[in-house]
Amino acid sequence: MDSGTEFQDAVYKYLNPLYNYALVLARQDAEDLLQESIARAWEAFHRFDRSQSFKPWIFTIMRNVQIDRLRRRRLQPSEEPLGYQKEAEPVVSLENPLCSIPLAPEDILLRRETVEQVREAIRHLPPLLREIVELRDIEGLSYREIATIVSRPVGTVMSRLYRGRNLLRTYLVEPRERPGEKGIGVRNDGL
Amino acid sequence: MMDCSTAKSKLFPYVDGELTPELRDQLEAHLARCGTCRRLVDLEVAFRETYVDRLRPDPAPEPVREQVVTLLRELGQGRRASRRQRQLKRLVVCVGAAFLVAVGLSAGIALQSYVGTRTTLAELAIAAVEQHQKLVRDLLPPDIKNVSPKVAEEWFKKRLAFNVSLPDLRTERLHFLGGRISHLREVEVAALEYQVDGNNVSLFIIPEDAYRQLRLKDKPRFKVVSHRGYDVVIWRSQGAGYTLVSEIGDRACLMCHAPEEKLEPLPRPSAHL
Repeated sequence: MDSGTEFQDAVYKYLNPLYNYALVLARQDAEDLLQESIARAWEAFHRFDRSQSFKPWIFTIMRNVQIDRLRRRRLQPSEEPLGYQKEAEPVVSLENPLCSIPLAPEDILLRRETVEQVREAIRHLPPLLREIVELRDIEGLSYREIATIVSRPVGTVMSRLYRGRNLLRTYLVEPRERPGEKGIGVRNDGL
Repeated sequence: MMDCSTAKSKLFPYVDGELTPELRDQLEAHLARCGTCRRLVDLEVAFRETYVDRLRPDPAPEPVREQVVTLLRELGQGRRASRRQRQLKRLVVCVGAAFLVAVGLSAGIALQSYVGTRTTLAELAIAAVEQHQKLVRDLLPPDIKNVSPKVAEEWFKKRLAFNVSLPDLRTERLHFLGGRISHLREVEVAALEYQVDGNNVSLFIIPEDAYRQLRLKDKPRFKVVSHRGYDVVIWRSQGAGYTLVSEIGDRACLMCHAPEEKLEPLPRPSAHL
């Protein structure tokens, strides 16, 4: 198989995850970001290490493309995940975890929420946390792969994941807790 | 010996399969003798199996897929080739236009206008469904919200050059969520979000000129198209075109009609896209 066909097959295979990640990074500009990222990945594909996975590789490119786009515009909208980079946050490690006890999902299981309600609640997470939760829980990437994509230590990824998952559970138990919402979205009636 | 506090703090990485073998062994030794922590792990696993494992990324819409296919084809052919192709296309268009002018066929000009700018009913329906999905997912934030339909109507009238008339029916089953100025097939429209019985419904009000370009017959008055499980109803009223997108069929008519009002059933969809 030539590299052109190999690249095309990989893009088609991961098109939904790529589009989804573009939505996370650039909500209203996702289609442009997707196209620009594919074009840049195409140019760099001869340097792609075949022993690695294609998905985190092209996700990293997409994130870098978005950083460049924001730099070009000299504007970092506050809702963009990349606008939160300088935020101070606790870091945990596998050896010395600082996390308190995760919220047990018992109430959520009892409420019989639907998968779509959980998906919708993820969309309402703060961008910084949503990005990590999406990469882990929807895209199934490892902590280390996520750390590479977001250029942060694994401990930071764990910390954000912990906060994101707990906040998600709070949203599902108390839907009105979501910022900017007034009882719209996830229903709480168990339907 | 691992204590409960440490064990609980490792719950997420444990279920994620991200603990080192040494830590995993320590945690499992703790779980073997601690029912409380074991129950937490069981609940977490149940939560993953019920929800997390079934989560899927948002699917790329068909137009996005088509764009990617085109892009990959162009990349495959090489940029130089695609640039030459674009130049060639431009040349063909120029020659074609010159020919039309030279021949002076007014019918030809009309045809160019027809082919170049006309939006079909199907294209309008697909664009409306796409916008509806974005509105529901908050990808297109409202310009105006938490106001009455009347206030929103005034807001749109100041900003759009066509008659925007919002339904102002007061029933507990209908909630106006907000609206924004948006674009359907490059036409500026008023995009309005409602909930009817808890279901999201979008109403797009389009200029009458744009509606006329659809060249629809007068009857039936309501045109219905089905696309990706959504019902799209299109009609004309009060100097504007209306496009309603929902998943609830006739029940979306509650937007404009009182619950007790007897209505003719909507026609069957003229197309399933």
